[in-house]
Amino acid sequence: MNKMRIRFSKKDWMVFISHLDLMRTMERVLRRGNIPLVFSHGFNPHPKMAFSTALALGISSDGEYMDIEVEEEIDLDVFKSSINDQLPKGLKIIQCKYVDVKSKALMAIAEYSTYTVRCCLIEEHSEEELKKQVADFMANEEIILHKTIKKKNIEQIKEVNIRPFIKNIEIINKEDGSCIFKMTLATGSKGNLKPEVVIEKLAELKKTPIVLEKIRIHRLDLYGVNNGKLVTPLEINV
Amino acid sequence: MNKLDLEDLLFEVEKPARYIGGETNAVQKEIENIHVRFGFAFPDVYEVGMSHLGMHILYNLLNDEADIFCERIFAPWIDMEESLRKRNIPLFTLETHTPIGDLDFVGFTLQYELSYTNILNMLDLGNIPIKSKDRGNAYPFIVAGGPCAYNPEPLAEIVDVFLMGEGEEILLEVMEKYKKWKTCGLPKKKFLEDIVHIKGVYIPSFYEIVYNEDDTIKAFIPKNKKIPTKISKRIMKNLDEAYYPKKVIVPFIEVVHERAMVEIFRGCTRGCRFCQAGMIYRPVRERSIDKVKELAQELIQTTGYEELSLASLSTSDYSKINELIRDLIDTYGSKKIGLSLPSLRLDKFPLEVIEEIQKVKKTGLTFAPEAGTQRLRDAINKGITEDDLIETMKNAFSLGWSTVKLYFMIGLPTETYEDLDGIVDLAYKVVDAYYHTPREKRGKGLNLTISISSFVPKAYTPFQWEAQDTTETFREKQNYLKDKLKHKNIKYSYHGTKTSFLEGIFARGDRKIGKVLIKAWENGCKFDAWGEHFEYEKWRDAFEACTINPHFYANRKRGYEEVLPWDFIDIGVTKSFLKRENENAKKGILTQDCRMSCTGCGIDQAFMGGVCNE
Repeated sequence: MNKMRIRFSKKDWMVFISHLDLMRTMERVLRRGNIPLVFSHGFNPHPKMAFSTALALGISSDGEYMDIEVEEEIDLDVFKSSINDQLPKGLKIIQCKYVDVKSKALMAIAEYSTYTVRCCLIEEHSEEELKKQVADFMANEEIILHKTIKKKNIEQIKEVNIRPFIKNIEIINKEDGSCIFKMTLATGSKGNLKPEVVIEKLAELKKTPIVLEKIRIHRLDLYGVNNGKLVTPLEINV
Repeated sequence: MNKLDLEDLLFEVEKPARYIGGETNAVQKEIENIHVRFGFAFPDVYEVGMSHLGMHILYNLLNDEADIFCERIFAPWIDMEESLRKRNIPLFTLETHTPIGDLDFVGFTLQYELSYTNILNMLDLGNIPIKSKDRGNAYPFIVAGGPCAYNPEPLAEIVDVFLMGEGEEILLEVMEKYKKWKTCGLPKKKFLEDIVHIKGVYIPSFYEIVYNEDDTIKAFIPKNKKIPTKISKRIMKNLDEAYYPKKVIVPFIEVVHERAMVEIFRGCTRGCRFCQAGMIYRPVRERSIDKVKELAQELIQTTGYEELSLASLSTSDYSKINELIRDLIDTYGSKKIGLSLPSLRLDKFPLEVIEEIQKVKKTGLTFAPEAGTQRLRDAINKGITEDDLIETMKNAFSLGWSTVKLYFMIGLPTETYEDLDGIVDLAYKVVDAYYHTPREKRGKGLNLTISISSFVPKAYTPFQWEAQDTTETFREKQNYLKDKLKHKNIKYSYHGTKTSFLEGIFARGDRKIGKVLIKAWENGCKFDAWGEHFEYEKWRDAFEACTINPHFYANRKRGYEEVLPWDFIDIGVTKSFLKRENENAKKGILTQDCRMSCTGCGIDQAFMGGVCNE
């Protein structure tokens, strides 16, 4: 048995298919490619496929990952090109490699994601002003988010400090009426923060004039932490 | 022409993948090389339309022609409609996001009457006038086909051309004529004249209806002598030679039926007297076992589906069904590809085989006795006995099944409260059969669903002359059953009586109710088949505004001598056969399965092919 780790992108119209749709699409692509998948035992056999954290609808990504188990070792280049031929436009395998069958699951690896966030500005705002607002924002020790949670069907408001989940924010591009942020945020079970929440908070606290309905998010890559350093799932423990 | 920019829109709506297209096996073509652009329109949401086998067949059939491009159109969901109207964006095709008004044809498939308001709404969203007479050369031709096209009259003012029967050949013949017409620059009427003699074509604007004083039809008259007075349906004589796609579109989002479907035969020989499909799809034509296997293999390879379904009106009647199932299990079991067999008659089918198919999970059994007493089952020619049912249930329970669904109809002709008691009686006998099964054998906790639908008399059936029960009567009968079926193991479900009433009106409606349809749509009716969107009051107001009595259509018993709105269409089965069957129903005389011997329905005289010639 062999375990293959695949990095792929999800772009164009494919940002409009959900995580569940993506999983089904991938299974069918692999079936069409006659990949010798390993199936789970039990009542309802399923191919052994595991994905990294689910991407929300509308977000594009160059940093999606999945692990699949195959009965025999297939040539990686052949696999990549034959599956890319089968994938719908917008989904594409970037890289794949074999990893140890017992290697840590993708879900357990993911701790950070890097995103670019394209925003439209309501009014003109200089790059210096933007940079200062971001720096002020990041200088806070606490950034409190009021989250509505449902406990036993009773709505409660919970306060969450999201500052520890923000590793970095920078402005990588500024044009007339728009700007692009790049940010590294916590992802996964230990803490998860969505880029749009950060932008909303920035607009709220620093009055940064951003059109909140028109935020476009792209995930650049996904990381685990190894010896204090961010490493991608393809670099980690293999 | 102009491709729409939809990105912002897609961020606003739920399930945006309904509108993006680009699925595996969806077709793309260079527009410059295309002579005919056809929009295959399904008047419901994507998830419903994409589950429809006929659409997949005709989509690929048209796209196999180099100079025809067929794209898909679905009804946008309420939220998308709002966004489109707000931004003034017309309804578009999935393949190229082209406004539907830019196409040469928009072809609607008519699968159920309650989708008609969506047709008007889709045309309107496409900035296309809803009435045929208001559409000049600048607008596409609106064509329609499918089972409900057999009673085309309610849509006579809206649709330009109806195509009767199986579309595989006739569509291409019409397309050929269109290519010639398109280069001539002549008015639309010229094209209609060019195709009126193609067998299966019905052009409502070429005919006039004369009524009697009592609102029944006096005559159906062609406007000139060259126009045919009778329209015959089209059929494919040999299914092995008929077109079948080797690849079908694989949706991204979950749709109602997600599986590779191979049609194993058309038609049904059982002759149930309430069933329209059993009459209009005659004669029975089987696809050979080799062809079925070949198609299954190709479709599984090209789609990657994890389930294969054998489609037909009565799967267990396929002459080599056991051999086929064995073979498919042998071939696909190891690849973890499931097999599903809809429309099984459990009385004629070994449960052991079903058990083998359902190896993985015992999903539940469905059985359709349709009526509660032997007398009524004989009257409707269902031909199932109580013993069949109870024996099958006993067997199923001892094999471990514990989820069972039984379908019945209320309001069938000749029904009395004794027949309703029969339903209750059967339900409790099934419960008893479960509790008499040894505890160690049976599955845990019986889950018996009794599903009751309200009978709608349909055109071309032996019951086409009969009155439908009123909504009040249906309600009384539903409540009567509800009270008697209170049991911890029984779940009782039934349909809304008002939707059945509306279905009944349109199923046997004439040209005049087209006005009501338009009025109801103007009142805001759409998605009538979706309980949460069905607004009966708006329909009632529409009938009132048009001074049309809905009961005339639904609840009136017709005489045999009456001219019925669909009498000009020849489906092959004769009116005299239908009369004879209706009389047999009253006497409780069974008519045998016509695979055994010919029952004289007339189809063998009109159409060659199928079992009639074996």
